[in-house]
Amino acid sequence: MSTYQFLIRRGLQGLLVIWGVITVVFLLRFMTPGSPVDFVAPLDASPELRAQIARNLGLDQPIYVQYAQYLGSLLQGDMGFSYIRGRPASGIIFLRLPATIELAVAATVVAIIFSIPLGVISATRRHEPADYAATGFSLVGISTPNFWLGIMLILLVSVGLGILPTSRRPIGLVPAMEMLIFQFETVGIQTWIRHMILPAITLGTYFTAMIVRLTRSGMLDQLGQPYVKAARAKGLPETLVTYKHALRNTMIPIITVLGLQLGTLIGGAVITEFVFNWPGLGTLIIDAINVRDWPIIQGALIVIGVGFVVINIVVDALYARLNPRVSLE
Amino acid sequence: MSILSERVRRSLTREFSQSLMAKIGLALVVLMVTMALFAPFIAPHNPTQQGLEESNLPPAGVTQTSSDIQFVDGERQTVETTTTGTLDHPMGTDSLGRDLFSRVLFGARTSLMVGLFGTLFAVGTGVSVGLVAGYYGGRIDDGLMRFADIMLAFPALVLAIALVGLLGPLTIRIPDPFVALGLVEGMPDSFVFPVTLTIVVGVVNWVWFARIARGEALSIRQQEYVKAARSLGASDRRILRQHVLPNSLTPIIVLATIQVAAIILLESSLSFLGFSGTTLSWGFDIAQGRDYLGTSWWISSIPGLAIVLAVIGINLLGDWLRDALDPGIEGEHGGGM
Amino acid sequence: MTDEPLLKISGLETRFFTEEGQVNAVESVDLEIADGEVFGIVGESGSGKSVTALSLLGMVESPGRVTAGEIWYRNADLAAGIAGDVPDAVDGDYVNLQKLPDRVRRTLRGTHFSMVFQDPMSSFNPSLTVGEQIAEAVEAQQRARANPRSVASRTQGYGLGKYLMSFVSSSRKYVTQESRERAVELLEMVGIPDPVLRAEEHPHEYSGGMLQRAMVAQALAGEPDVLIADEPTTALDVTIQAQVLDLLSRIQSETGMTILLITHNLGVVARMCDRVGVMYAGEVVERGTLADVFDSPVHPYTQGLLGSVPEIEGASGRLQPIAGNVPSLLDHEMPDRCYFAERCPKAMEACLTKPAELDVPDQPGHSAACYLATEPFDEATALPADYFDDPGTAARATGVSEDGVPAGDGGELND
Repeated sequence: MSTYQFLIRRGLQGLLVIWGVITVVFLLRFMTPGSPVDFVAPLDASPELRAQIARNLGLDQPIYVQYAQYLGSLLQGDMGFSYIRGRPASGIIFLRLPATIELAVAATVVAIIFSIPLGVISATRRHEPADYAATGFSLVGISTPNFWLGIMLILLVSVGLGILPTSRRPIGLVPAMEMLIFQFETVGIQTWIRHMILPAITLGTYFTAMIVRLTRSGMLDQLGQPYVKAARAKGLPETLVTYKHALRNTMIPIITVLGLQLGTLIGGAVITEFVFNWPGLGTLIIDAINVRDWPIIQGALIVIGVGFVVINIVVDALYARLNPRVSLE
Repeated sequence: MSILSERVRRSLTREFSQSLMAKIGLALVVLMVTMALFAPFIAPHNPTQQGLEESNLPPAGVTQTSSDIQFVDGERQTVETTTTGTLDHPMGTDSLGRDLFSRVLFGARTSLMVGLFGTLFAVGTGVSVGLVAGYYGGRIDDGLMRFADIMLAFPALVLAIALVGLLGPLTIRIPDPFVALGLVEGMPDSFVFPVTLTIVVGVVNWVWFARIARGEALSIRQQEYVKAARSLGASDRRILRQHVLPNSLTPIIVLATIQVAAIILLESSLSFLGFSGTTLSWGFDIAQGRDYLGTSWWISSIPGLAIVLAVIGINLLGDWLRDALDPGIEGEHGGGM
Repeated sequence: MTDEPLLKISGLETRFFTEEGQVNAVESVDLEIADGEVFGIVGESGSGKSVTALSLLGMVESPGRVTAGEIWYRNADLAAGIAGDVPDAVDGDYVNLQKLPDRVRRTLRGTHFSMVFQDPMSSFNPSLTVGEQIAEAVEAQQRARANPRSVASRTQGYGLGKYLMSFVSSSRKYVTQESRERAVELLEMVGIPDPVLRAEEHPHEYSGGMLQRAMVAQALAGEPDVLIADEPTTALDVTIQAQVLDLLSRIQSETGMTILLITHNLGVVARMCDRVGVMYAGEVVERGTLADVFDSPVHPYTQGLLGSVPEIEGASGRLQPIAGNVPSLLDHEMPDRCYFAERCPKAMEACLTKPAELDVPDQPGHSAACYLATEPFDEATALPADYFDDPGTAARATGVSEDGVPAGDGGELND
């Protein structure tokens, strides 16, 4: 099967899952107690007014009609109007999306830069101090709730040392880059970085710790394989034995796990945003849940679900590319 | 009934005696369970008892200087107060004057109960679904596994936040037997068990168990002895229970242990966001302390340390079980050359 | 070619320090291997053959270690080069490999000694092409020859920085185009059809026999003096085995290279070897020319091996187990007597003390670690059949056969 065929098949499967995601999200509203009208209408609203509001929100229709309407408008990129803000939900959501993506990518980059070398060192210097340090770090890392880590970082770095800001970030990456390119002004990007450091560490630590563990055990396994012995016997430099041979085969299964664990990353992003008052999807969802702003809740959940499905397809394709034994079945 | 075979038991004890980490893990878990179980006996104060004159007291031995702006005779004055923590409140108090040490003890109950029951719920649901899907195959399998895919498309924490936040925190009050029997006085007479939260953390985690159980059921369905059992007229239920379940037990036990840790982390996150419905929880206390980071660092720090130690303990136990039951994973005992 | 042996191994001891105790994998091995000969080492699994080979390469890994012995390798150039650095490792044209520091020892792999492993499927990296892996071997040898000093460090002058740069700039790649071309030539030399295309394929696209040829090609990349072939045909089909053996013979006759052939297959030995050493429980118990050892074996173990093979010339002449179990190699369980006595049909009272290696009269170069080499079997002092059958030994024997020798040592010593 060619890569295209594989991607098409995987894409169709993904579409099916996305449809399921939308349906589940839609049904969520009917599974939860209380009517959206309760949250929208004034407390002393007359039954007539309540009925009027319900009609305006399209809530008076039978469920299947509402479902069809919802699917139909989604296809046109319409997620409805925010009950609270009265603006299109899609606009609000996509305005918040970049902040979350920036945070998630920064955390992933931090995680990969630190974790893989740590995992490799830990495996190649087994039972040496470096190994104990790396395994100790990873044990604490996977056991620490990230919201608490974030608060402790604020306590130590911002409150204690007074170095980095904790306020809501004033500038996103895109405007900061525009400032840099068009005005040759670096203050924007500096501010962006200063606000990014603590949230990225907060979100990235669990991920780092987990990849260290996976890399270490994977490397230990691979370094014991006969092909490593054979590579050494032919006089290959140890750097290549470790990185070109053993690490390559270690990364193949790790990539699949990473794809699945990206869910943890996105979940962690929600709570990290809450701790750092980050203007992303996470804070948006939490706020929306508290006021039952359904179009926002549904839209944001769908965006997250779709993003996650797409990422996993990409990961699968990457896996197939790296692993010659898998002929994209 | 003995679940574990002699060989497994021997491997467990051998691995345990050789591993310092397993011993530390067991010690931490035993400590946590003891704390949770006997909280009313150990706690020096009622964890919910407020005392505004005792608010924000530092832990024993810690001296804290704080400056307050007060109006004395209509004039603005900055008053410096120095407080040193005493053993009366060994870990200090929170902003409402509640004893943190007592709250940490009672908070262990919430974490442990939600961790255990949430995992049990996930195992129960996941294993039943997985066994049925794998054993019967065909459409049932397809349908259930597609549903699992959809569940997996939502990050667990996001789904949990949405479910708990939207369903609302239903709780039940379980009477504390020690208080009911009159063994201790001055302690809360009941324990608030967050029902929604427990179900939700189970719901967002059942898929992993379903996958393992399904895989085992799929492979075992083909085995000769299962075919033989079936041809002898054994019922499906009997085959599943007698043959399939025991074989999938090892990975399920290992995963369940790790899931207890994951669920405790999840519980603390949801409590931190205020979605759990109980106020006696480590995550909730951390959230309470956020506003006082500048003056009273201990309110957020100490409950967080409790979470970290508890989760480390459970993770170490999980590592021990994994190494003992499946030595292949770590490569610890791999070829010497 | 001189009469001086190319390799003189004396008193080689390799031990594994495992949780269960000290495992004596190689117990005082002495061997002399002449230049250009094919020397066979035979024995059952767990007899220490493979560990001997790895010890020769200096590739015994933790928890194992070569604890004693000398490995003298005759190479005038090497001796001259080393004499300044490590004078006490040099004696005339000979270099004692055991005295060389790791960094120098490493430079010998591939260039002077190379190895063909048992299982080609697991000895090639599954995610790199076969051509790439052979080219690596070529490259490693060329770099070692061009600049011997560069190989002195663990990274051999090719560190992580350079490796990372190779992703950016193709001129920084470790393997050069010339090495790739040489790899194709080597594949052609070992009889791989369509070598240009085959070089681009991954190991899983090869058949076992093809892959073993590719491994031979890889071992030849550095034009080594000694080729160590560790069970090179065990993982292959019988028909393919013959082809690979033919290939080795052809290469040996073309290059005059010395081959150390490790096998438990007596048919392979009979077909390939000039001289042979029989190993049992970490020791060489009998050695000599192929004809001497096979036609007039002295040691009852050798006799047992040969007796258990229906027809030696047949390629399928697999070794049948002799009654009893392979002995435990745990140090504290090794008795101070002939290790074979327990299973020996001709055990005598004398065998309760360890026999020295005795020369067989009238057969120069033929010797055996057995009293029967010089004296006939004396029925009067024969030990009764149940002599070792006390409950203690019986229990121990079962324990060993069930667990093998603990993982990472005995169980994998040879396979």
